[in-house]
Amino acid sequence: MDKRWSYLCLLLLCLSFLAGCWDRRELEERASVLAIAIDAGGEDEERYRVTVQIPIPIKIAGSSGQGGGGNSNAVKVMSVTGRTITDATNNLQLRLNQRLFLGHTRVVAISEEIAREGIEDILDGFRREALIRRLLWPIIVKGKASSLLEIKPQLAQIPVVFIMDLVENGRKMGTIPDKTLGDYLNETSNKSMQPFLNYVEATKREVKWIGTAIFHDHKMVGSLTPIQTWSLMQLRNQKRGGDVIMPLAGQEDAYVTLRPRFVDTNLTIQPNKFKGGGLEAVFSCEVQGDIMEYVPGNIRFASPEKFIEAMQKELKQEMEKRARQMIQKLQKHNSDVLKLGLHLRSYHFHDYWVHHDWNKAFKDFPIRVEYTIKLRRLGMEMEQ
Amino acid sequence: MKRQDNGTPRYGFTTWQQTCLITSTLIGVGVLTLPRTSSSRLLEAGWMAPLVGSLGAYISIWMIAKLSRRFPGMTFVEYSPLVWASKESPKLGKLLSIPWIFVYLSFIYVATGMVSRIFGEVVVTSVLLNTPLEVIMITMFLLAFFLSLHDVDVVARVNEILFPLIIFPVLFIAIASFQKADWSYLFPLIRVSGKSIFEGAYEAVYSFSGFEIMLIFYAFTQHNSGKEKAGFVGILMTMVVYTLIVVAGITVFGYEELQRLTWPTLELVKTTQVPGLILERLESAFLAVWVAAVFTTVANAYYAVIYGLRQCFNKGMVFQRIASAFLFIPLFFIALIPQNIVEIFQISSYIGIGNLVLNLGVPTIYWIVLFLRGKAGIPKERKADG
Repeated sequence: MDKRWSYLCLLLLCLSFLAGCWDRRELEERASVLAIAIDAGGEDEERYRVTVQIPIPIKIAGSSGQGGGGNSNAVKVMSVTGRTITDATNNLQLRLNQRLFLGHTRVVAISEEIAREGIEDILDGFRREALIRRLLWPIIVKGKASSLLEIKPQLAQIPVVFIMDLVENGRKMGTIPDKTLGDYLNETSNKSMQPFLNYVEATKREVKWIGTAIFHDHKMVGSLTPIQTWSLMQLRNQKRGGDVIMPLAGQEDAYVTLRPRFVDTNLTIQPNKFKGGGLEAVFSCEVQGDIMEYVPGNIRFASPEKFIEAMQKELKQEMEKRARQMIQKLQKHNSDVLKLGLHLRSYHFHDYWVHHDWNKAFKDFPIRVEYTIKLRRLGMEMEQ
Repeated sequence: MKRQDNGTPRYGFTTWQQTCLITSTLIGVGVLTLPRTSSSRLLEAGWMAPLVGSLGAYISIWMIAKLSRRFPGMTFVEYSPLVWASKESPKLGKLLSIPWIFVYLSFIYVATGMVSRIFGEVVVTSVLLNTPLEVIMITMFLLAFFLSLHDVDVVARVNEILFPLIIFPVLFIAIASFQKADWSYLFPLIRVSGKSIFEGAYEAVYSFSGFEIMLIFYAFTQHNSGKEKAGFVGILMTMVVYTLIVVAGITVFGYEELQRLTWPTLELVKTTQVPGLILERLESAFLAVWVAAVFTTVANAYYAVIYGLRQCFNKGMVFQRIASAFLFIPLFFIALIPQNIVEIFQISSYIGIGNLVLNLGVPTIYWIVLFLRGKAGIPKERKADG
């Protein structure tokens, strides 16, 4: 008798292994959105035009025999309008046979036009949606955001994957800032700083990273060129940024290229020496790098030591000039993406922060940048 | 008072088992909201909240452990009558102790309901979007029911075995997320007044409730085991884990953003990239493990309530099994009382404060009574001073 019961229990136990999910959905049964593009709607009430990119699993090479072929057919691009973002996605659902699934969204492209009006309303829905990852990349697109989803890059089957790789690679090389949705949300909530996002431009076939868009209170107020962005990254994140190509003074068609390897930045706040009273911020940035190209045509230096010395001096001036331009732009637009406000709030709370409104004070806060260039190598070439 | 018929001799929990029991009971749903609640008043200094908030717990667990030393081998239910009246008048003792026992048991009971509700809310909003809340809660109840069918020693062993499963994922998340941390978020160290440090610590107190189950479970400990030590170490471990999680939350999000996140720790898991990318979506894995943490909270507390009731009525194992099956029905409806997420957090905050008052108040009252009646002496140990 006992044995029979234990057999029954064993049987029932086996049953529990056989069970599946009662509401499971196969991968093909959901419309996974890889990227969302948000444009201005145009029509009276419909404020937004939302474009989504949905991959077609069966057409992606490798998933089935047929694969390959015209690569941009592997995705479907659909466009819809709505009063809010969620309204638009609901409208989109009406046109789809499968359930929309936002869990795989990796890129949210926002047109510059919308960004300049402010993107707080757009992001509210993303904040609440549990499936949305904080690691996805919001990207500001010059012109129409939907153009980013319609590119035919050929190098990757799915356009979004191409864009993702572009950002990811740039992040690894230290040339493109890694600005995720989470970063953006943290930085807008924080009262001592402003966010910035990557800024791209799309043509029919291609997409190009053209710097960063800087924000103030959820509104895009301006943009930084790639060179300015690299200065920003060096000062803010100690990332190396791209190569510095500097025209040599007093010569035509003469350039020297510095490839930064390591960047170490220290921000110090000290009493202002020059304008009397108040504080000033000094970014001391040490860049270690190599000379990658030197095309002066005729001028040669007497010795390698002299060459290094002269280059370090010139590069220092050039880098400081670039950083100054970048900071001027930030102060003009009153967008503290440098995290300077955070530093002041953290380490100078009682003596500075409580007495000042950073929103107004940032514009005129004296900021100096001091670069130290350390040339380590001259590439494979020994002759200067 | 008639000794109940247990049949089996009482099992002796080791010190480590007691520690596991306390830590795994304390770490529960609170850990998911702790970074937000503790930084709501204290701002950047939110990490102080678990440190300050645990002070009450240390004092309370010490008094509870000492009570158990005074009445070795007895649960709160058993020694209450002895505290309130002499051995010669058990009726009076019982009458006087019933309100305390009732308050305690019903408090733990309601708190258990809230824990399972919060658990259900998390699962429903973040992973199983289409599953009804009730189903999730009932599954959790079934698990707790299953534990209640067994003897006390099973509870100890279950907690011992689940302990690493609870503590390591939380530690891992806290430490892994430090790679995205910006330490400037932690400064200025002190901007709020000393008064609001204590006010802010209130918010963290909820996460330190649950150790009162030791009023019951200390009775089953080995005689020479370090009850106080187990209590201190258990709360200390919880405190360290909590502090790390709060530091991680503040350094990754900043206190302003934390206030906007319903489940900050879950968001922390979502933003944490594990090197190697074995699992791109860590939150499902984390929640799966976190079920164990909630289970130990719900089941231990529920077991304590059931066991307390069983002793109240001088019943045996059969009563315990039947009662545990039926008591889930009111618990289910209690858990469903709060109408929305805001109410849930409000109620859990009240429970936290109520718990602190109860845990500090009742043992103090008991010690005062014992002292006044001149019975405060701990058998074959030094005198307690309450």
